[in-house]
Amino acid sequence: MRTPTGQLALTFALATSLSAVAGPALGQDPRLEGRVPEPTRVEIEAVLDSALALELPTEPLVDRALEGASKGAAPDLILTAVRRLAAELLAARDAMGPKSSVPEIVAGASALRAGAEPEDLAYLRALRGNQTLTVATAVLADLVAVGVPVDTAVSAVIALAEATEDVEYLAFRRNVERDIALGASPVTALGVRLDAAAEFADRPLPQRPQRPRKP
Amino acid sequence: MPEESDRLEQAIRVLKEPAQIDSGLDRRVMAEIESVPLPGAWPHRFWMTLDWLKRGRPVRVSPLGGLAFTVGIAILVLFGREWMTPQEPGAPLATTAQGSVVQFVIVAPAASGVSLVGDFNDWSSAATPMRRVGGNGVWEVTVPLDAGRYRYAFLVDGSTWLRDPSAPPTLDDEFGRPGSVVTIGEL
Repeated sequence: MRTPTGQLALTFALATSLSAVAGPALGQDPRLEGRVPEPTRVEIEAVLDSALALELPTEPLVDRALEGASKGAAPDLILTAVRRLAAELLAARDAMGPKSSVPEIVAGASALRAGAEPEDLAYLRALRGNQTLTVATAVLADLVAVGVPVDTAVSAVIALAEATEDVEYLAFRRNVERDIALGASPVTALGVRLDAAAEFADRPLPQRPQRPRKP
Repeated sequence: MPEESDRLEQAIRVLKEPAQIDSGLDRRVMAEIESVPLPGAWPHRFWMTLDWLKRGRPVRVSPLGGLAFTVGIAILVLFGREWMTPQEPGAPLATTAQGSVVQFVIVAPAASGVSLVGDFNDWSSAATPMRRVGGNGVWEVTVPLDAGRYRYAFLVDGSTWLRDPSAPPTLDDEFGRPGSVVTIGEL
């Protein structure tokens, strides 16, 4: 899987360092007290500060820290996960636009984690018009999670973007998963379901724009 | 009169003589009695019930009662299948102005307690205990969720983490434990 936007991660790390120097944390969350050990909690609060400064949602970051604590992860692992998610949220918001909703940003971040490019999210935004991207980007991540190669998953989600309702996206993902469970390869399962969608649409589906491959 | 008296004496004499009874009579009588079913025994009750069922009888139904019965049957036909099928997370059981109600189900026959733990309850193992349904080891809980994408897992007996087999897995187990995701579309 490709790493999401190293530059944004670096920006976020720098912003975190600056906010740690700047003064008392605004991003304190009482839910972290007693669940995340002290030195790590302070560092996570610095990440929350940076997220607030960048107008990013902090709830997903708190959730990720609480997940790590609940699962008994090592403190440095929790901090790494929170920082990584913050960078992905920033990249997703930048790609999908400043008016993106919190669910869109969270789902977009999961798509980036799956290996989609920020340009894919921006293209999806253009194709989907006023429809939300929450389900479309979530389905992209879910397809990758069940074994569909990321490029294939991105192409499929883009192909369906213009004329597919959220419930149809979910049904598409469910059908692909079912076919995989019945023994089809992920690529075959996705191809069959995409062909069916194209036949139903009775017109050519949008293609993912060709871009030079990253090294 | 003397003739009548003689006849009477003769009859009395005949009646006083011990009757010659067939030695197998008792056995035959008892066998006949045993062959008659006792009232309340199951074959007898079965035939009685069958007779009762076969007999036609008038049924009185008010128009309102008939209408309610018809509507009930129609609802059962239209939605019964949905109600009886466990819902996949992400396919809400119901949608309200506040969000969607989502059903989570896991089969854990050997478990003595299962909790649903996730982004929606601050990953608290005590917040959302699941309810055992029937005797087949099925655990279930419904949770109201707003639009969004949530990570979650099942915690069995406070120590074993399970992902939801009916939902997509998380892309990576960053913390070394399995998990699943559920996505609720925006209304």
